[in-house]
Order: sequence, then structure tokens, then C-alpha cells
Amino acid sequence: MILRKLNIAFLVTTGVSVVVFVYLVFLGYDEIKTLKDVIKIIASIVFPIPMLFFVRFILIQHFLPQNTDDYKLKNQKPATILLLLTIITGIGIMQLIEFLTHQNLENNLIFAHLINSTAVSTYVLNFILYNNLKANGILSGVLLSLAIHVFFLSS
Amino acid sequence: MQQVLQNTEKNNASKRELLFTFQAIIVTGLLLFTTIAFFFYNDLSIIKGIKVVFAPFLSVVPLLFILSILRDLQKGFTEGNYSKNEIVRFCIIALAVTVGFTGITYLMSKIGALEILLAAIMAILSTVFFLRSKVKDILGMSIITGIAEGIIIYMIFLF
Repeated sequence: MILRKLNIAFLVTTGVSVVVFVYLVFLGYDEIKTLKDVIKIIASIVFPIPMLFFVRFILIQHFLPQNTDDYKLKNQKPATILLLLTIITGIGIMQLIEFLTHQNLENNLIFAHLINSTAVSTYVLNFILYNNLKANGILSGVLLSLAIHVFFLSS
Repeated sequence: MQQVLQNTEKNNASKRELLFTFQAIIVTGLLLFTTIAFFFYNDLSIIKGIKVVFAPFLSVVPLLFILSILRDLQKGFTEGNYSKNEIVRFCIIALAVTVGFTGITYLMSKIGALEILLAAIMAILSTVFFLRSKVKDILGMSIITGIAEGIIIYMIFLF
């Protein structure tokens, strides 16, 4: 049962990565000119997978309590605080880096792809296997701050 | 009940082994990908055709010899959870191997001839298979993870 869950988790994670990849290929069709760009994007899609395997290897058992109402109630507040904190720090760090290097994130899309695919894959894995609400808060914060940065703050 | 408990405990080690196998397959795929990428991108030349045939033997023969004479180095996968100390230690090992392999991939990209690149790739593959079959442990897992991440990081940021 748990083994099947694990397999589903990895299938879903890989599926999400592939969908993101295909989407990016169509999105940035003009930017992908050489073989080098394709290799870089494939590498950034593959990037989270070995790490996920390693994490799964270490945290083999359900390390946290089941997703009961009690557990949810207890973790609502810390998870929300972590979400807000991560959004603020994420945006702050990205603004600071853009300010210091005088470069836009849009000009270095590979970093955005990297953060995106890693966060999405981790999110799915955490959602299916561990249900760790605090980790959920942090990952949601990373994704939201990336989205806010790309949509509203980058000129 | 006792038997069910034992069954789930047995599953933990086999799950770890399965993950280890997957990771080894991923690394093999990545190495293949690296070879193809370098081959197409750097316009490698085959200087002497006969060397290509003999390049794999250079590392495969010692590997087979070592595998045949050596006993298993580690006791295998543990059932329970790892302690915090162990997790930190093996994460650091994985990180160090990642940095090392970013450098090694950089060196491989400097190779100008196909047969030498093939020999290098085969040597790394042999190392992976050695770890896979003899160091069946968290140490092997962290080294293999490091190799995979090192290759990927090189491909993303330096290639």
C-alpha cells in the first residue's frame, strides 16, 4: 500500500515536471534557439528528481502524524505564519539580488525554471506522502513569492 | 499481527533498495545524456578508431575483477529511521560529491577526443555499478545522488 503510494507520488512528480517542461518549451519558443538551451532546460527539469529520491530514502517512514483534524488545528497558525514569512523573505531576497546584480529574473529564466520545478515537485511529494503542514506553508510561500515577483514586481 | 508488523519492516529495506536502484538508473541515464550532449555540441573527433573499441575495457575489466573478489562492504539498508547526526553527515557527503562532480564534468567537457570521453564515462559508470552492488548503504546513495546533482548543476549553470 505504502509502496504503491510511493510509486504514485513519483509518477505524479515526474508527470508534473514533464508538463512544466512542455509548457516552457512552447512558452519560450523564441528563446530556445540552440541545443544548449534545450539541454539546460531538460537539466533544470531533472534537477529535483535525484534530490527527491535521496530525501525519500532518508525519510522512509511516515515521519509525521496522520492528517487528522487535531493535527490540522494544531498546525494552522504556524503554517500560516511560515507562509507569510516565506512570501516576504522570498520577494525580499529576489528584489535584493536583482538590485545587487542589476539583472532581471526574466533575463535569467533558467533560475525561475529551477526554483519552479523544484518547488512544485517537492510540493507534490509532500502533499501525497507526508502531509507536513509547515513544509506545505514554506513551499506555498516560495511558489507564491515567485509568482508575485514575476507578475507584479518585475518590470 | 506480529507477522504484519514484520512484513512492513521488511518492506522498508526493500523500498530503500528500490530507490537506490532507481537512483543508479537515473545516474546512468544522465551519463548517457552527458555523452550525447558533449558529442554533439563539442564536435568531438575520433582520432583513432581502434581506441574506441578498447576504451570501455580499461575500466570494465578491473570492475568485474573487483566485484568477483570483494565481499559486500556494507551490511545493507537499515530498517528504521536514521538519526539526525547521520542525516547531516550524509547530506554533507552528498553536497561535497556534488561540488566534486561539477568539477569533474567540467574536466570532461574539456576532453577533445571521443575515445577518451568514452573511457571517462565508462570509468564513472563502473564506479556507480561498484557502489550499486557492493556499497549498498546510505553512503552509496549519497555518493550517487551527489554524482547526479553534480552533472545536472554543470549542465544548467556552466555548460
